[in-house]
Amino acid sequence: MAEKELTQRSAWDKVLANLRKRSLWMLHYCTGCGAVELPPTMTSRFDMERFGIMPMVTPRQADILLITGYLSVKTLKRVILIYEQMVAPKYVVGFGSCTINGGMYWNSYTTIKALDRYLPVEMYLAGCMPRPEAIITGFNSLIDKIAKGEANSWKDYYENYEFYHKNQEHVFGDIETHHDVPADGKYFRVVEAKR
Amino acid sequence: MNSGLGLIVWIIAYPFVSFSLGVLLGGYGRKLTARIQRRVGPSWIQPFYDVVKLMSKKTNVSHGYMHDVAMMMLVGGTLLTMYFVPVPGFHYFSQFGDYIVIMYIMLVPPLGMALGVGQTANPNGSIGIARALQMLAGYEVTFVLTFIGFAMKAGTTSMYDLMMLQQSGGVATWGIVTNPLLGIAALFALQGMMNEKPFEVIVAPHEIATGPMTEMGGKYLGMMFIQHLINLVVELTIYMNLFLGGALNWFEYIVKLFTLFTLVLVVNAVYGRFRTDSALRFFWKLPLPMAALGVIFIMWNGK
Repeated sequence: MAEKELTQRSAWDKVLANLRKRSLWMLHYCTGCGAVELPPTMTSRFDMERFGIMPMVTPRQADILLITGYLSVKTLKRVILIYEQMVAPKYVVGFGSCTINGGMYWNSYTTIKALDRYLPVEMYLAGCMPRPEAIITGFNSLIDKIAKGEANSWKDYYENYEFYHKNQEHVFGDIETHHDVPADGKYFRVVEAKR
Repeated sequence: MNSGLGLIVWIIAYPFVSFSLGVLLGGYGRKLTARIQRRVGPSWIQPFYDVVKLMSKKTNVSHGYMHDVAMMMLVGGTLLTMYFVPVPGFHYFSQFGDYIVIMYIMLVPPLGMALGVGQTANPNGSIGIARALQMLAGYEVTFVLTFIGFAMKAGTTSMYDLMMLQQSGGVATWGIVTNPLLGIAALFALQGMMNEKPFEVIVAPHEIATGPMTEMGGKYLGMMFIQHLINLVVELTIYMNLFLGGALNWFEYIVKLFTLFTLVLVVNAVYGRFRTDSALRFFWKLPLPMAALGVIFIMWNGK
């Protein structure tokens, strides 16, 4: 599917992707300890702004949702609400082991273990916690993915919403968000666009 | 250039010229700030990438009719202001509207923003708008007063005439040399008008989550970015035409534009942010009496 899509991309899409990759705004959801690695990444030592990556303060403006560290059941709900408020294309980046398999909170009864069961994760930054070098490398690979048109995980949320919603309901019981995701996907033709 | 085909070409091309200049200015600003902070900084045309990114978003969240119309008021008002401000080679519209007209039109974009943000119903946005209107009382009064003094001395309110008057005798006839009090007071006002630190109380990301832009995403934010970039050029050009002698050719224009912007940015880079009341108090304590003194001085001396 991915290869077929790649060949069908028009020249305009390629130009757009190459311009878009130069500007990524990041909303960092810093509940976990990983947030401590972000200030050196943004400031003069590593300088994230070289790649056009900037911190932004509200979900509407952001492209990247950076989840630093563990998510408890309570905070996961907020993350889902934030994610649905973001404007597509949007990329979730899981930061640290906690988002991959629970990390050192594996035994905890209040944290979730794998983030990609609840939100479509574009990329994981492994490590406990990843150093600024790893973050920069990770974001560069995200930039490459965007340029190649392969960063399409956000479409997955519109297409396989039942899967994510089922898992979300498994945690929360009944959950209601402000957006009707499948209807949004149809209205903005995200769902048809892939087929 | 100010009649016939040349005029039509100018009218069509001017927004694009202005936007390109705005992109260069914005990119230069971010690069300079980064260099002051000992960072490498983004690309020179980073604002262009940002605008393209924002305008190519796939989904959108509209809060209603006024939210959509407000964006047109925002960009339209700024474009209208832009046409009335004379730049080298294009001053056709400045014969129909002097600075007083410009002053009125310049209030359209903030008004549009207030209406649009009102519909998004975000408390942070409302606080941002309230702060914007409060700040208007600070810098606008000062700026208008400096202009009144300057116009009184020159005997005209037309921006083009004021510019030509200053061009007549080189640096010695520049507004900031002949009326230093007014020029310096207006510099403070310019800092507030451009919403740079220490007067950056409207878009205070750490306090009120970028204020008016809180609920704006995708294409809405893209429009706001375009407005912001054009507005950069317009505001700097207004100050330049009033106090730095304007410009008769594009080389002079660009040199003056970037020099003035550098001054604003350097102040922006080293200061923190005032509280809203402190900012207002500052405006009424230092620049406003300074401007008033300048006006009194001019009245004393006659023309």
